[in-house]
Amino acid sequence: MSALSITDLSIDFPTTKGVVHAVTGLSLAVARGRRVGFIGESGSGKTTTALAVMQMLAEPGKVAGGSITLGETDMLSLNEEEMRKARLSRVSYIPQGAMNSLNPIMRIEDQLWDGITAHEGTTDREQLKARSDEVLESVGMPARVGQLYPHELSGGMKQRVCIALGVILTPDLIIADEPTSALDVVTQRHVMQTLKDVQDKIGAGLILIGHDMGLMAQSVDELAVLKDGVLVEHGDSRQIIENPQHPYTQELISSVPLVGGDSFLDAEVGAPPINRGEPGVPLLEFKSVSKTYGNVTALQPMSFALDGEVPKIISIVGQSGSGKSTMGSLMLGFNPPSTGQVLFEGQDIAKMNAAQSLEFRKQVQAVFQDPYACFNPFYRVNHALKFPFKQFGYATSEAQVQEKMEEACRAVGLDPSLVLGRYPHQLSGGQRQRLIVARALMLSPKLLIADEPVSMVDASLRATILKNIYDLKDRYGISILYITHDLATAYHVSDYVIVLYQGHVAEAGPPQEVIGNPKHEYTRLLIDSIPWPDLDRSWGTPSTAAEDAERLDRLARDNKTEFRGSVSGFDLELS
Amino acid sequence: MSTIPRAYLLNRLLTLFLTVFIAATLIWIIPRLSPVDPAEIMLGRMAAGAGAVADSEAILAQLRQNFGLDDPLFVQYLKYLWNTVTFNFGLSTATFPTPVSALIAQALPWTLGLMILSLIITFFIGNLLGALMVWEKSPKLVRVAIPAAMVFTSIPPILSGLLLMWIFAAKLRWFPLTGAYGLTVEPGWSWDFAVSVMHHGFLPALSIVIVTFGFWALGMRGLMITVQGEDYVTLAKAKGLRPRYILYKYMIRNAILPQITAFALKVGLLIAGQVLVERIFAYNGMGKLLYDAILDQDFPVIQGVSFVIILMTALSVFIVDLIYPFIDPRIRHEVTS
Repeated sequence: MSALSITDLSIDFPTTKGVVHAVTGLSLAVARGRRVGFIGESGSGKTTTALAVMQMLAEPGKVAGGSITLGETDMLSLNEEEMRKARLSRVSYIPQGAMNSLNPIMRIEDQLWDGITAHEGTTDREQLKARSDEVLESVGMPARVGQLYPHELSGGMKQRVCIALGVILTPDLIIADEPTSALDVVTQRHVMQTLKDVQDKIGAGLILIGHDMGLMAQSVDELAVLKDGVLVEHGDSRQIIENPQHPYTQELISSVPLVGGDSFLDAEVGAPPINRGEPGVPLLEFKSVSKTYGNVTALQPMSFALDGEVPKIISIVGQSGSGKSTMGSLMLGFNPPSTGQVLFEGQDIAKMNAAQSLEFRKQVQAVFQDPYACFNPFYRVNHALKFPFKQFGYATSEAQVQEKMEEACRAVGLDPSLVLGRYPHQLSGGQRQRLIVARALMLSPKLLIADEPVSMVDASLRATILKNIYDLKDRYGISILYITHDLATAYHVSDYVIVLYQGHVAEAGPPQEVIGNPKHEYTRLLIDSIPWPDLDRSWGTPSTAAEDAERLDRLARDNKTEFRGSVSGFDLELS
Repeated sequence: MSTIPRAYLLNRLLTLFLTVFIAATLIWIIPRLSPVDPAEIMLGRMAAGAGAVADSEAILAQLRQNFGLDDPLFVQYLKYLWNTVTFNFGLSTATFPTPVSALIAQALPWTLGLMILSLIITFFIGNLLGALMVWEKSPKLVRVAIPAAMVFTSIPPILSGLLLMWIFAAKLRWFPLTGAYGLTVEPGWSWDFAVSVMHHGFLPALSIVIVTFGFWALGMRGLMITVQGEDYVTLAKAKGLRPRYILYKYMIRNAILPQITAFALKVGLLIAGQVLVERIFAYNGMGKLLYDAILDQDFPVIQGVSFVIILMTALSVFIVDLIYPFIDPRIRHEVTS
């Protein structure tokens, strides 16, 4: 029996500039107990379709045609009060932004209880308490979590609370909208296993929305591929992954970077590497640098020298809280080290005078995670490109600035006539992130710190942007520190990889060794946690979470480092 | 509910003390930058009353001595600090020899009653209306009517006060024109007196509410728009919670937090009274006291009133600091050096 059947669904967004057809003629059924993945880029209509089932379309969205049936109920004929009652009890929603999905001023159990009360009217505390404890336990959390406030939980725990909420009234259908996009790989695996486990238990249908083909392959039975509001391919996930018919599906599958797989980078390299360093002086040097907050070690004492003569990409990988972003901010001088010195071309960045500091800012550029937050929304994007260029005294004339901007845009694969002169909100996330890379390129720095540059970009665009960044090294001789939680991309782009765990270096060396053939248990855990777009590869069982916790616990006790060989021009030492 | 840690309490008390101390010092310094000699003003007032004053030099010297104006500045300052601590603000120069503290004690209850009451009413009305402007389930009429009502906010209080007086007191005769209580009732803890006070306070309070609710409504509107876009509100809707419950527990409850801080700051400011409102309605509160004192260059009264204002502001901020962690669990009673 179908939990949900959608027939010929169309959703329109009437705007002043005409009607936008967000979804057109979509038909699909989700059987009870089945997991169906909605995959596609942002704007493909996957979330819009799901929200239409709950009648929660954002203004001014409207269902323009077709029908949505949940069990026997025609969802589109329900009035507001009937729809309210159907939410959570018959169809539940697990949102994307788990970080912010819970009311910050209410305890967890109150937020589970109000859901029950709104549908069943129960206000008996003991009864409510028993049910919230039970549902928390079913998602692997102790009952005492109910007493806590959202800010006292980690991202993974918050997402589990949202899952608990999603199953508390045993609905027929669960809609999970990118439930793990804000989590690191290890946590992602645990949360997905929890979700699959509880969904199995209550026998509900599940719609999983996402854009990561690997995660889909490991999580769903059926795949529905959406592009521009149209269902382009739908079927058994094995069949689609092994034998995709539509070119778009093929592209989605091939764009997933794999550890050990084919490189997504161009084999042929443009110009030979340019020598931009000063002989004998390292470009960037850490001298026994450490960072502690109170008695928490954010970064263990370490020394390294990055020689700028031959540009290199050094990757720093780890989960959230591993200290990788701390390393980035130490390098940028945003955060003073607790001990030791950070040197740029032999000069301590904490003791630079105004002129040296300006030169340092000129030579060291950064690309951050959120491409939206990097632009001032009140200015056209030109401003973001132009301003530093002029500020650092590179500009000679307006025409030259314009020419430079256009050249930089073309270098990152953007058509200048389409992006320049527009406001940040008018561009897609991918375009914005490429503009940030273009800005760095215009200044032609010697060093680029890229902190999770592609984690907020659609999977299909990640490869392109990383290619842009990689080109900076090859064509322009810029050395890059690539900070990421994504081992597959680190494997392909880097010359040297440092794996961090709780501020300690777990493993370090060339990527073929560290990621291709990991020795350290932590690196192995990270690699095991990657969902592969390959159904024959196991992604663990529900008991994995407990095993992982044990593994991490063991790791926390012994801080041993595996050195896996070195590359010339980069020496790492731990003290 | 946790209790307030002692270290935090001490830290806040120290902040409170320092704020009041610095403010008290400033209050003392600023009037002394004025070239006016208060003794000469008093003499001038006597002269105006009597036509001429004999032996004026001697009287001036006597006055200066009485007010301690002959002491070195440092001694004056120390005396002032000690007096401040003991709430002894000296004698008013304008209504010599009434002690300033007596004047304040007389005016303060009226202002506290009128202002705090109208502030609380305004706070509730303003925030509720601001929230309703944003809430998607509000009746259309409400969403149109509130912005229209905001026009009143831009009317100067003196005008709206006069208008209210003209309509309700002069024309309709529903309320008395001026004063804080009727001349026929005896002040005291009697029912008649209470009714009279409320009857007299209604129009001034209404004029304050009309003029100030827009501040709260507009602020709340902005906060509510932000909260409306939060994921937890979307999830609350997806949970099938009742719309009103979402409005109170998920939206207003979160949006109101910054408004509470603003409330604390307003309490202090309002002690100064709506000077003009008190003037128009001949309401003998702190605003009128301060206004008259400024006109008369009555330094001791200005100092005394200013000090009370600062003390009230600092105290209400202190109280908010203590209760905030209970209303927003993300804030902790923590000592940040």
